[in-house]
Order: sequence, then structure tokens, then C-alpha cells
Amino acid sequence: MKFLNATLLALLLSATAARAETEITYQFWGSPQEVDAWNAVARSFEADHPGIKVNVEASDWDSYWEKLKVKMAGGTPPDVFAMDAPLYKDWQSRGVLLNLTPYLDKAPGILDGVYPITLEAYKTADGYYGLPRDFQTIVLYYNKDMFDAAKLAYPDDSWTWDDLRKTSAKLTLDKNSDGKTDQWGFWAEAYDMEPLWGALVWSFGGAVLDPDAGKTLISSPEATAAFQFLSDMWLTDKLLPTSLQLQQYGSDGFFAGIAAMGLSGHWVVPDYAPQAFKWDIAPLPKGPAGRATSVNSAGFVIAKDSKHPDEAWEFVKFAIGEKGQSELAKVGLAIPVRQSVAESPAYLDQATKIDHSLFVKALAYAHMKPVFKGYDEWSSAVGDALTMIWTEEMTVADGLAEAVANGDAALARNK
Amino acid sequence: MATRHWHGTSSMGSLRPMGAERWWVMLFLMPTLLGLALGTFGSIFATIGLSFTNWDLLTPPKWAGAGNYTDLPGDRMFSRALWNTLAFSVLYVPLTVVLSLLVAMGLNRRIKGIGWFRVMYFLPAVCSPTATGLLWNWIYAPDNGVLNAAMSAVGAPSVSWLGPRMALYSVVIVNVWGAIGGGMIIFLAGLQAIPREFYEVTRLDGATALQRLRYVTIPALAPSIFFQSVLTTINAFQAFDYIYILTRSGSGNSTMPTLVFSIYRSGFRFFRMGDAAAQAVVLTAMIFVLTLVYFRLQKKWGET
Repeated sequence: MKFLNATLLALLLSATAARAETEITYQFWGSPQEVDAWNAVARSFEADHPGIKVNVEASDWDSYWEKLKVKMAGGTPPDVFAMDAPLYKDWQSRGVLLNLTPYLDKAPGILDGVYPITLEAYKTADGYYGLPRDFQTIVLYYNKDMFDAAKLAYPDDSWTWDDLRKTSAKLTLDKNSDGKTDQWGFWAEAYDMEPLWGALVWSFGGAVLDPDAGKTLISSPEATAAFQFLSDMWLTDKLLPTSLQLQQYGSDGFFAGIAAMGLSGHWVVPDYAPQAFKWDIAPLPKGPAGRATSVNSAGFVIAKDSKHPDEAWEFVKFAIGEKGQSELAKVGLAIPVRQSVAESPAYLDQATKIDHSLFVKALAYAHMKPVFKGYDEWSSAVGDALTMIWTEEMTVADGLAEAVANGDAALARNK
Repeated sequence: MATRHWHGTSSMGSLRPMGAERWWVMLFLMPTLLGLALGTFGSIFATIGLSFTNWDLLTPPKWAGAGNYTDLPGDRMFSRALWNTLAFSVLYVPLTVVLSLLVAMGLNRRIKGIGWFRVMYFLPAVCSPTATGLLWNWIYAPDNGVLNAAMSAVGAPSVSWLGPRMALYSVVIVNVWGAIGGGMIIFLAGLQAIPREFYEVTRLDGATALQRLRYVTIPALAPSIFFQSVLTTINAFQAFDYIYILTRSGSGNSTMPTLVFSIYRSGFRFFRMGDAAAQAVVLTAMIFVLTLVYFRLQKKWGET
């Protein structure tokens, strides 16, 4: 009898202990250093919210989306998960995300001080099904050692794309004189629109898509001029490594130390920081229609089938608040969405000493990376066709026509 | 010459289980059979079923009729993948079968260190395609690559091995290289089962080496050649790993998308599982038809 009582007591105790602690899962894509940062955020959240435990789970980009879809299809979604803004509509339109508007109504003023352009991506006709977590703008990275060796002035905000091309020509070298280029003036990832060609099209006065994302507009005269400029620089002048040349050194030409200039968002800073060469950043060059860059955000969403939506919301609220954002800013991968944090020492005085405010100032001339249902399919349809320009299987005009045809077919399939 | 029945079937009879033993055999086979029934046949039927729906993984499947199939000819990303797979297969299948047969014949002799040679030829088959694919990437690299270094050493101009003009051939070479080991083992087993007397008899009859190949080796190997052709064709249509590693482009895409890549991308990245299922069914149907053709050919060949 005594034994039975003790067992019952133990059972009761463990049951109450389990009830006292609600566990939620936060899943995202990211590197090990991000896992550390998010664990720090989770621990500081738990300290403020006794009774809620946050499990932080990370995977690399490709397996993240695969896992997420399988978990969703299996009916066991994570409570909170990270969203790439362009892909948001793919999930939101299929009714698997929780509408956060009722929670936002109960927390008036919570979105004050969040950069409006980052909120725009998540706004729908019936409210917010997600909120921005952090954002990225694209800037020009340059290798100071290579500029110094060539006795050239560093890029500044007066630069045009033509200045970039002229300077790239002086920095494209065959250093060991074996007849093969081993240093290129410029490099950027050219498949997705975000790092390079979106900004190029915009600064030449073109558009990428119509506002309803029903038509691909990159074969307009302005956009064609932008791609022609890149083609001249890449295929005629050979100032960028071809993708096959680049593969010999890795996937990031600037990181590999073979390109004097490169385009990227803030996400590369922790990787670039320990490199042996000295580097700095400048705003993107101006085009015939002015200066442009793209802004994209990662966000938080809550699964509609989450068993603990209230606790999940508490975590989101904390992470986009002053404290959570300051904690995240220290990792140095992205830019805080909260203006007060982006203008505070937490973000501006990071370990890597560059002018971090440049990424924030870029918002003044930034275009939002498009957010629509079928982004990945459209981006792949367009990217596959554009790649044929860069491998010289197609002319600029033919490649753009193919990109528009394939891109529009992808858009139609997702209507 | 009755070479066709050299491997005999009469001795197999004694292995057939009798009476109560038969039940035990069934019992022990049950786990495997169930797994086969549920796993393999289950997923085949599920795939066929899904191919008639629109399913995005996130919401319940919706009936789509034959829509996924009728859309395929107009899907340019699919057509491109199909074309790449066909062009690849046309080169890959005959090359793999012929070369593994030649290698097997070369290695079917009793010389010192023959085991060592066989291991060498089989080695690619046991290596991870990802690892060896990366190695081939380096061999094919435009400036620092092994192949172009060799080319420039003999004064030849360097070649863009993985560029649009050469990529298909370069990719076929790597895949054939990776497949020879497996094919060789099958052929070697077939060759070693040919009784020596056959060769001795033909030699006494004064047959040349070529005649011995034509009238003894090839007919005796017919079942292996048939089996190997079917297997290689299936592998060709499902080719993915080496090709993807060698032709990667930005954001997890490929400059030479194959059918399997297209199926993966449509289903898991583009939220179009129904389309992906239809593509998979088309792929299976093509393999099925080709296998039937091989069966007909084998029958015809066997009769003459």
C-alpha cells in the first residue's frame, strides 16, 4: 500500500511538473553560430517567462524547407518557425499559418518603430500571418589590399556602374603571368535576383515584375540594357569569373580572395571578418535611373495547428522586442527590424568594425524583394534561363525572352 | 551448338520446398513480402493516385483528372529535363554495357595480381558519388584542372569540360566510369560460368578468337547482357548524383537538370507534388516500355 501511494504521488508530481512547463519549438535555417545566438535569446526569454521552455532547432537552408513540409504534411508542425519573406505567400495562402492580428490588437504599439518596408512583406488583406525578424540590404564589398596594390581609390557613394566596370578592368589580373586570369575585378551571385540583377535592373530604370506578380518585366528596354551591361562586363570584358572558374575556388568569389569587389547582404560579415585580407563596404553604385538595392527579410510565423499559440506568440513578441533584437544584433548576421536597436550600439558597435549604418541607410533607396505565391518556382524558371546567357548558350535578348516565357508560365501556374 | 541451356535448370528442382516446409518458408518471407507490398507497391499506387491530383503537401489533395499529364508537354522545365535525360541515356547505356563487358573479358584470366585489378575496377562502385563527383569537378576544372593541365602540357588548347558544349560528354564519362565496376562483376560471373570445354571444342574446330566471341561468349552471356542492359537503362533514367554535383548552379539548381532532379524540384520546392508524381509515372512508364522492348529483343535473339 505504501508503495502504491508513493507511486501515485510520484505520478501526480510528474504530471503537475509537466503541466507547469509548456514546451514550444522554434525552427529555423542557419549556421551553428546562429544556433548559439538563438539559444541565448531563448534562455533570456525563459528567464522572463517562467513555465515556458523553448526548443531551438536549426538545419541548413535546403533541408529546412523539406523538413518543414514533411512535418506539416504529417500534422506535427513546429510552433514557431522562420520564414523567408519571398516564400511567405506560399505558406500563408495555403492556410497553415496563424493569423497574428488578434494578438497584435491586444498589444497596441508593438509594431511602432519597426521599419515599415519590412512589415509590408507580411501584410495581407486580413492582417499579418507573420512578422519580420531581421532584414538584409545589399552593399558593395571591396578588398582593400587589392585596391592598395593597384593604387586605386576605394569605391564611394559617387560611384556609378560604369565606375565599377572601369575599376574592375584595372583589378582583373593575371598575377602569375601564366596566361590565365587569377584575380577578377568583380563577382556576384547572378542566379537569384537578390544580390545583383534586381538592383541592376532597378537602377537602370526597369522593373522585375508588375505589382500583381502576374508578368515578368525583365525584357523591357531598360532591363535589357541592365543585362546587356552585365553581359559586356562579364562575357566581353571577362571582369567576373565564370561559374566554372569560380567553382575552382569555392562559391563566394569575394570570400575566396579572387575578386576585388563583390555584392552581398550583411549575412556574410561573420564569414568575411576573419579573412586574411582587409576589406570594407560602400553603397551600391548608381545607374542611369539612380541608386537601388533590394531589401529582404526573414520573419517569424506561427503554425495554425500549434498546440500552444499563446506561448508561441509570447516568444515572437519577445524576439522582435528591444531585448530580443539587441541579443540578435550581436551575432552580426542581419540587421534588426526595430529602428531603436538598429541605431543603438548593440548593432552599430559590433565586433567587425565597418560602417554598419550603411545597410540601414540603404533602406532609403531599397526595393522590396517580391513576395508572392510561387516565388521559388518563378525564380528557378527565370534563373535557369538567365544562366544560359552567362554560359553563352543564348544571347542576352534570347535569354531574356526565354526567362520571361518560363517565368510567366510559372506565375500562371501559381495563380 | 546448344549453348543457350548451358547453365541448366534441372538441378534447381531439388531446392523447391515441400509440404509443411513450404509454410515455414512463407512465414519467414512474410516480413520482407509485407515490406515489399506496403513499401514498394504502396508507394507506387500512391504515386499513381497522386498524379491525378493537385497536392501541395500543405492542404488536402484535390482531384485534377489528367491535368498534370496534359500540362507536361507544355512545361518547358520538364521538357528540358526529359531531353537531357534521353540524350544522356542514349550515350550512357551502350557505353556502359560494352565497356563493362570488355573490362570483364580482360579481367577473366588467371594471371598474377588479377584480384588487385578487379578491385581497382570495382572501386568506383563503392565510393560515394558525392566525393568522387567533387574529385571529377577538380579534374574537369577550367584553369587548375588536371585534364586541362595535361592538355596544355602537350600544347593543346584548354577545354571547358563542363561548359555547355562538352558537359553532356563529360558527365557521361564520369557516370560510365562509376558504373563499369558493377557491370563488370555481372559479366565476370557470367564468363566464369562458361565451361572451358566449349572453348576447347571450338579451338579444335579451328575457330578464330573473333568466332569464339561471336559463337560462344556472346550467346552464353546473353542473359547477363540482357540483365545488364535493363539495369543500366533504369540507372540512366534515374541518373542524378554525379550530374548534379558536376553541373550545380546557384540556389541548389543545375545547368543540366535531369528527370529525377525535376521531380524533386517540382514536388519539394515548388509545392507541386501532383505534377512531380505525374513526372515520376512518365519516367516509370518509359523504363517499363524499354524493358519490354529488351524482353522482345532477347526472345527474338534467343530464337535465331
